[in-house]
Amino acid sequence: MRLFREKKLVATIPTASMADIAFLLIIFFMLTTSFSPVKTSVDLPESVDRAEVEQNSAIVAITTLNEIVFSDGDNPGFNVNSAQELAPHIQAVVRANPNKQFVIRADRAVKYSNVDAVLDQLRRNGARNIGLLTEQKRPKGK
Amino acid sequence: MADIAFLLIIFFMLTAVYSTNRGMEFAFPKDDPTQTNVQPQEAIHIKITGDGQYTVDRTPMTIQQLAGYIDQKMKQAPDKPVIVHALPDVPYYTMIDVFDVLRQLKVKNVSVPTQTEIERWKFFGYLE
Repeated sequence: MRLFREKKLVATIPTASMADIAFLLIIFFMLTTSFSPVKTSVDLPESVDRAEVEQNSAIVAITTLNEIVFSDGDNPGFNVNSAQELAPHIQAVVRANPNKQFVIRADRAVKYSNVDAVLDQLRRNGARNIGLLTEQKRPKGK
Repeated sequence: MADIAFLLIIFFMLTAVYSTNRGMEFAFPKDDPTQTNVQPQEAIHIKITGDGQYTVDRTPMTIQQLAGYIDQKMKQAPDKPVIVHALPDVPYYTMIDVFDVLRQLKVKNVSVPTQTEIERWKFFGYLE
């Protein structure tokens, strides 16, 4: 008579919770994804002081090649040839919503005169609420 | 089921542009008659002449010296206006660096004149 019957151990990975984890991750990525209307890749300058910019604000992107991309925040961005050409677009946005925020997404290496030209147009055409997009500045050596 | 879920995860991971939706607030002066105009004569004048080269009230300074100088001035006169004058050829981030320092020191009255205004001030002899 055998007193101890040998139990067969089956090695399995518990997969019952897998779908739960997967859905959690889906929800996480769905919530953190925001489809930005301007996809121009720029290397933003860094700053310590940062505040949240408003959702759906109008965006003016300036690249190192001095390309200017404008979006009113709801429609996809389009290229404009010069800062002067921004004027009618800015006016249209301001007319629709005078408190609309304009976000400047300029590359860190852009010449200041190019940014200045855009700021000048924004100011002349009645934009009052401006945001300058930046990356978080980290202390040196980290 | 889990396959579909993982496909969706991969889709969202790839499309997730961690959109940088933070930055610095920058307000233009409101059209408000009660607001005083910055008088260039009494303001602290920061001139950005190049990459990491700043001239504050005609004295060349590093960004650390600049921060110290402004901090000291702000303790004496918290409402003193500061003019950030970037020359046209300097890179954008140098202006952001200065603006960031002013923000951290909680300077209330920052003025970033446009080239047009600078020309006007030069005309009246406020700026060298």
